[in-house]
Amino acid sequence: MSQRFQITRAAELESLQVFRDFIAECCARHAIPNEIVFDLKLAVDEACTNIIQHGYRGMDPGSIILALRFEPDRILVQITDFGHVFEPDDAPMPDVTAALEEREVGGLGLFLIYQTMDNIDYQASDDGNTLTFTKLYRA
Amino acid sequence: MFKRLRLSLEPKKTAPTAEGISISQFIGDASLPVTLKALNSLPINPKMRLYRTLIPIQVLAAFDINPRTWQNPDKQPQVRLLAEEGSDRVKISAWQGDNPENEFFYLELADNPYNGIDLNFLVANDPASPKFHTDLDDQGRATLFGTVHRNLSEEERAMRAGLAPGQVREGLRCSQIVFTHIETFLTLLAHHAITLEPLTYASAWIFERRGFAYARGHQLMDSIQREFQPGGELHKALDGSTAFRQPEQWKTVRGRAWAIHDGILDVIDRKWDNLKMIKQVGRQAGVNTCPDAQY
Repeated sequence: MSQRFQITRAAELESLQVFRDFIAECCARHAIPNEIVFDLKLAVDEACTNIIQHGYRGMDPGSIILALRFEPDRILVQITDFGHVFEPDDAPMPDVTAALEEREVGGLGLFLIYQTMDNIDYQASDDGNTLTFTKLYRA
Repeated sequence: MFKRLRLSLEPKKTAPTAEGISISQFIGDASLPVTLKALNSLPINPKMRLYRTLIPIQVLAAFDINPRTWQNPDKQPQVRLLAEEGSDRVKISAWQGDNPENEFFYLELADNPYNGIDLNFLVANDPASPKFHTDLDDQGRATLFGTVHRNLSEEERAMRAGLAPGQVREGLRCSQIVFTHIETFLTLLAHHAITLEPLTYASAWIFERRGFAYARGHQLMDSIQREFQPGGELHKALDGSTAFRQPEQWKTVRGRAWAIHDGILDVIDRKWDNLKMIKQVGRQAGVNTCPDAQY
């Protein structure tokens, strides 16, 4: 049986620590291994930073809704915001093997999400923009 | 899924733009959102059947109004529906007695530029409670909820009687059930959300409790909460300089709302404007920017 937790905070950098603590608290209730908790915090941090810095750009920041759903073999993370829509872009992922001076600025946040999460989905509709990712684990 | 960030600054349209809708279209794809403008193109009777869901039967029953006919026991009409063909909005008002201007309920929904639906107005007043003429200034001009002109003496009386800015009478305390009905109506039209701009701090607080999140202004609400705490700039500005800036007002939602209505946000270089709230159908955002609040 799944269990869902949710928290809503303003899209500002100060909220990131609140989200990290929330993830830690929810995961503790489900005895989730530390390395999974670390990955979740990292992915949520990167996704929310994008929303704060880009999604609400030029606007008085609105809300970010973070929801976690715990299932027997996976954790579903859903992040909803009401800012600008991120459009799909076919640009290549950053080349992390390149020399430091040859790398493009930015783009690592999403790379980290791809590296740490198992399934990623993004939907933009009239009721907000929702980024969903799944982390599989063995209980 | 995106690989790199690229922002679209123009939201996509929620529903297709349509001048009208036929019954066959209406009973077609039930997942396709329908605009109010399209709904308004229907003949009056099917239109009425749909819009009737917007007024809670409990509210009508409290005033002895038949929810099916919208008439009182004397067969007098007590509800008015304005949803003309070609219009992109619906207005519903209900009153008690002979004077339609003496409304106790007024609801206005409108299509927004992206074919989503905005809640423009929701007024639910207790007609038996005393009326405060905060809606007109001392020269008889409409104050537009105190946003254009103010009637300071009436506002002070209203505040002392326990009203919030923008109210002319005590509320009916029915917003929860009204929003349940609005959500049912939105679902009927296959919309996923409703948006609004809160008129006052007190109304934003109520909408938070009804499950709304902020599309704009969540950070402002957090700043207001922080600055009204002892030692904060707004707390310091409750200096008794006007009737609406008394020291104890920081403790209550209404007290803060009156101070904000009085322009106190100037001290933190902010204004009460440009806030936008959104309610996702079937979801509670759980926002609470004023924890442990007394109304």
